[in-house]
Amino acid sequence: MSTNTSIIMPGERVTIVEDAAKSKRIILGPGLRRVDEKVVATKAGPLRHKEPNTFWVDNYQRRYVPARGDLIIGIVKARAGDLYRVDIGAADLASISYLAFEAATKKNRPDLNPGDLLYARVLNANADIEPELVCVNSNGKRGKLGVLQDGFFFKCSLNLGRLLLRESCPALAALTEELPYEIAVGVNGRIWVKAHSTRETVGLANAIMTLEQAGYAEIEKICGNLSGVMQA
Amino acid sequence: MSKTDIEEASKDKLREMHCKFNALSRCDGSVMYSQGATVVIAAVLGPIEVKTQNLSIEGSYLECNYRPKAGLPQVKERIREAAIRDVLELALLSEAYPRAKMSVQVQELEDRGSIDACALNAACLAMLIGGLPLKYSFAAVHCIINEQGEFVLDPDQNETLHQQASFTFAFDSVDGNLLLVQTKGAFKIAQFNDIECICRAASAEIFEFYRRNIAKYHGSSAEQAAATKEGSNGDPPMET
Repeated sequence: MSTNTSIIMPGERVTIVEDAAKSKRIILGPGLRRVDEKVVATKAGPLRHKEPNTFWVDNYQRRYVPARGDLIIGIVKARAGDLYRVDIGAADLASISYLAFEAATKKNRPDLNPGDLLYARVLNANADIEPELVCVNSNGKRGKLGVLQDGFFFKCSLNLGRLLLRESCPALAALTEELPYEIAVGVNGRIWVKAHSTRETVGLANAIMTLEQAGYAEIEKICGNLSGVMQA
Repeated sequence: MSKTDIEEASKDKLREMHCKFNALSRCDGSVMYSQGATVVIAAVLGPIEVKTQNLSIEGSYLECNYRPKAGLPQVKERIREAAIRDVLELALLSEAYPRAKMSVQVQELEDRGSIDACALNAACLAMLIGGLPLKYSFAAVHCIINEQGEFVLDPDQNETLHQQASFTFAFDSVDGNLLLVQTKGAFKIAQFNDIECICRAASAEIFEFYRRNIAKYHGSSAEQAAATKEGSNGDPPMET
């Protein structure tokens, strides 16, 4: 079986990667680690390769592990002095400074309360310290980041989040043809959507959740069904 | 040893194995695993927040819970829990997530023999599905010597009623090292060595079962990856 051969199991040596490493510098992604001169897998799944030099093991993980630069949706949990504690679905709560918002100053604090949703970027991710978030880019502009008002929030698998964010993913474009909406997708497996009416929002959320089990071929069909569901 | 050859012929096959992934919705990875009529559910969570008293800056803290089919865990279950924990601790790459906790729950659904081995295998599969970093996968095999002195691999409960001795071995997938040995009853050292060989051979079948089922689990995504230009397939074309 061809699928059988491409699966690698924890502890297995990955010689394909070792061979590639001889001629150029390579990047080992999640699921691979280096032991002396060997490259060894730590997770089970198919080996993936992205040109020119990135390798990783695909794994349908459900737990988010923060990485610098990730766009995530977090829930404000508490306020601790100059920081807010935000739940991002990782091992630790993340923290965000009140100065990490657009036009925030010591006098002009952002008004955040426990339960608020934040669309933020991971500034700092390290296994040894808690992750840190920001809601501005390096120019101090908020862009698409910030507090998410109204709308509907739900959790999904990490894979669905990444799938929707791929440039080649037809799902969001197909949904745009059905109705106007706003969406925020976090790679931590959290999605926020907002349409004109509650009915549309819920229908949209359901359509996105059904994508979880679907392949690329079915995406168009599911998105097409949405208008039918709305009228029903 | 001509005698053992005949004995192996009596029962040298594992009972049929089945598994269902992500049977539970709220954990990071779960599996319902059966060997013959013995069924367990194992679930993992991790990395998650750890209590300060268990926090370690060198590696993650591993928590393991084993629940019997009914009632609260007693001494027997605690011993099993400790055995599972010991093996998982060896296999887990704990330095990957310092200051975190990995939590493994094993729920017995039906005990019809070889529950120790079954619980260990289920825990291993759950770790693989949950994406926890491992040094290697492992497989546990149970074998007994019955009253006729025959070896019975992966026995059913009614076969264990009049056993002389019972053995559970766990092996790792990389070097085939022993991770766990549990023995009960009276036996000769030669019998022990024979049974270790039988169990080692049987563990290969379990590793093949893991691989086959994980391939099946990732099977539906393989078409997706083929459809996208971005993720190339498992045998990446390599220019040197």
